[in-house]
Amino acid sequence: MLVVWVCREDAPWSKSIKFYLLLGSIVVTLRVIFRIVFNLADSKTDAFLNLPSISINLGFGNSFHLLGTVSNLSIQAALVDGCRLAAIILSIGMANSLANPRKLLRATPGALYEIATAISIAINLAPQIISSLKQVRRARGLRGHSKGTKSLTGIVIPVLEDAIEQSMQLAASMSARGFGRKGKRTRFQMLVARLSTFLTLTLLTVGIALLLFSPTDQFIYLAVILSGLVFAGITLKVSSTKSTRTNFIVQRWQLADAVVIVTGGLILFSAFTGVLA
Amino acid sequence: MIETRNLCFSYLNSDGKQKSENPQLNRVNLKISAGEFVLVCGPTGSGKSTFLKTLNGLAPSFTGGVITGELLIDGRNLIGSEPYEFSHLVGYVNQQPEGAFVADIVLDEIVYGAEQLAVNKEKIAKDVDRLSKLMGLDMLLDKPVATLSGGQQQRVAIAAALIAGAKVLLLDEPTSALDLQGASEVLNLLRQLSQEEGVTVLLAEHRISRVIGVVDSVIVVHGDGSVTQGKPAEQFNDSRFAPPIIELGQKLGWKPLAITNQEANSLWRQAPAKYSEKLVNPPGELALKTSALEVRFGSVIAVQPTELNLYGNQITALMGENGSGKTSLCWAIQGSGPRYVGTVNTLSGDPKELSVQDRIGVVTMVPQRASDLLFLHSLADELQESDIFAKVPSGTTATLFQKLAGRIDTSTHPRDLSAGQQLALVLSLQLVKNAPVLILDEPTRGLDYSAKRALAAQLNALRSSDRCVLLATHDIEFVAMVADRVLVLKEGQIVADTIPVNVLGAGCELASQISEITNEPGLFTIEQVTN
Repeated sequence: MLVVWVCREDAPWSKSIKFYLLLGSIVVTLRVIFRIVFNLADSKTDAFLNLPSISINLGFGNSFHLLGTVSNLSIQAALVDGCRLAAIILSIGMANSLANPRKLLRATPGALYEIATAISIAINLAPQIISSLKQVRRARGLRGHSKGTKSLTGIVIPVLEDAIEQSMQLAASMSARGFGRKGKRTRFQMLVARLSTFLTLTLLTVGIALLLFSPTDQFIYLAVILSGLVFAGITLKVSSTKSTRTNFIVQRWQLADAVVIVTGGLILFSAFTGVLA
Repeated sequence: MIETRNLCFSYLNSDGKQKSENPQLNRVNLKISAGEFVLVCGPTGSGKSTFLKTLNGLAPSFTGGVITGELLIDGRNLIGSEPYEFSHLVGYVNQQPEGAFVADIVLDEIVYGAEQLAVNKEKIAKDVDRLSKLMGLDMLLDKPVATLSGGQQQRVAIAAALIAGAKVLLLDEPTSALDLQGASEVLNLLRQLSQEEGVTVLLAEHRISRVIGVVDSVIVVHGDGSVTQGKPAEQFNDSRFAPPIIELGQKLGWKPLAITNQEANSLWRQAPAKYSEKLVNPPGELALKTSALEVRFGSVIAVQPTELNLYGNQITALMGENGSGKTSLCWAIQGSGPRYVGTVNTLSGDPKELSVQDRIGVVTMVPQRASDLLFLHSLADELQESDIFAKVPSGTTATLFQKLAGRIDTSTHPRDLSAGQQLALVLSLQLVKNAPVLILDEPTRGLDYSAKRALAAQLNALRSSDRCVLLATHDIEFVAMVADRVLVLKEGQIVADTIPVNVLGAGCELASQISEITNEPGLFTIEQVTN
């Protein structure tokens, strides 16, 4: 968390971390509240909260209890559960705030370049739509309001058209500057590319299936997944015919990057080996 | 460098059939030699942008439509090719650079085109060095593009368009959003590119008064499908887009017409014509009064505390460089923009305190991005809705629109109108509301001279019915045409509040073209010349 706070850049996508923090804390709180309200654990030991119990008889089976005595244990369980979800949300959020989508684009292998471009444009569009929404709402006030659906279309249509126009303009500019050129590939290269794609997908699928069904046979699933990853590397290498694009600006490895990777790596390591658990 | 043979281009109807009755370009035959600096002009909506786009494949690739004929660039026939196949030959720069930027750092943006074309790194490094020095960007390479001024952004866009070694540069109104300084920066650069670097430059522009003197030839896109090419002086028989210098020459019967200010100046000195004093309307009743009006964005003060009285029976122009606070001030007065402190008083109270509906009846405004106000599916619907809303007889808005933009098929979708036509439409929608105060923010962008004259006539009519008009603009010639009073904003502060001649007259920073040519005290508009 601290790492993110220090390393993030001053850019729109970096500000999203606040939003993710808020979302995370909402998740934890909700989780605890639910546990208190829909109190299922009936243990009377180590009571944390003693609330009057409400019984609702739904007319079949046992009656349904709300509130009542809440044990320390159940609160603890709720907190852990909530934190787990919050941690997932925060991880995504932190990745989002650290990575500049346009820089990410530079590091993508050629085969994924088109898809990566589409994703990075989509990410950039979100803040644009918000600012465009503000602008159009203000402009609509100048025109005067029509009632009902018309007033909605009066905002939605210009905003959408704006977003589409912006994207088209960007696409036109990229196209005019050479985006979309394809390198020539030999038939052999195409064959290799297809074959290795097939192998990658098969190996990864089988590996994950093994991991889920029999997590005890560590050696086998690790071997299968690893070989899948190796083939994934080959696929990307073969499909990205280098000669079509230069990468003029090479990202320099900075201290901040190292810190991010090391802390991330530590957590990953401890999660796998169970140091923290 | 560029040659077209029987180049035809037409858009498709919604049913996918070719609009054969009025093609955008009909049998266009042109020859443009290497290093030529060409001005592309034509009336509002005549298809200048489309013409430029056909020269690098963006039309029909991004616009739809059908293209036929031959298009030879550097000897290769590229008709029907995708834009990226043109990219090593033709660079393209459009009106709003910020929308076309691919990267967020200047250097990344400049090298993008070369990266796409797999130019080797040593060559890119060399080209970046050369171009950034040429464009005066060498100190800005590591800056985010969003922090640059409009003129700097356009220079980045030009460098980015040329990095892959393009020999042809197409520019679609690159200066229309820039202030005087930004525009002249870009123009000087273009001239340098064509003269010293041998780049063929095609420049589509509306504000041609300052361009016409520096170009080698002029291409006119007439709007009926025909496109003609010739020397600047021959091309301006059509007064719809003739700049003041040509008008002056025509009025005084100069033959041949002068196209540079120096030529015109020597002709004028040989035989100066008589001219009358420009009369301005005296202020009518006080229409609007601001007290201590201030606008801030965070810690940045956009508009310093302003005490301003605006009167009926007058057109007041609000001038100033980009970022001087014109737009912020307009919105703050109108009432829906942010105000830090201060009040605005009109006869019906402060517009900020009124409901949105009531505000429209007190202050109407045409914002910079006029298209934000359009949301219906056809021109006819927009015009009709406006009549109903403003409670005026059916057809009032349509008549006004026709005066400003000419006759246009009313089944057209408003988004398919050209930028100039859209502006004319929004102007009509807002003018029929007939509020006592009218604010226009950059109302002449993309309008040709005849549309500007129509707008001027409309504003004059409003003025004579005792309305108060506030006009924020860079357009010196338009201010010369209509304004009774000029305010100059600098860094959020009103630094001049005077009659137009003191701002636009000979020797002033914002001198109009007539002032620059004649250098006569008190003469700054063509109407004053009586001969």
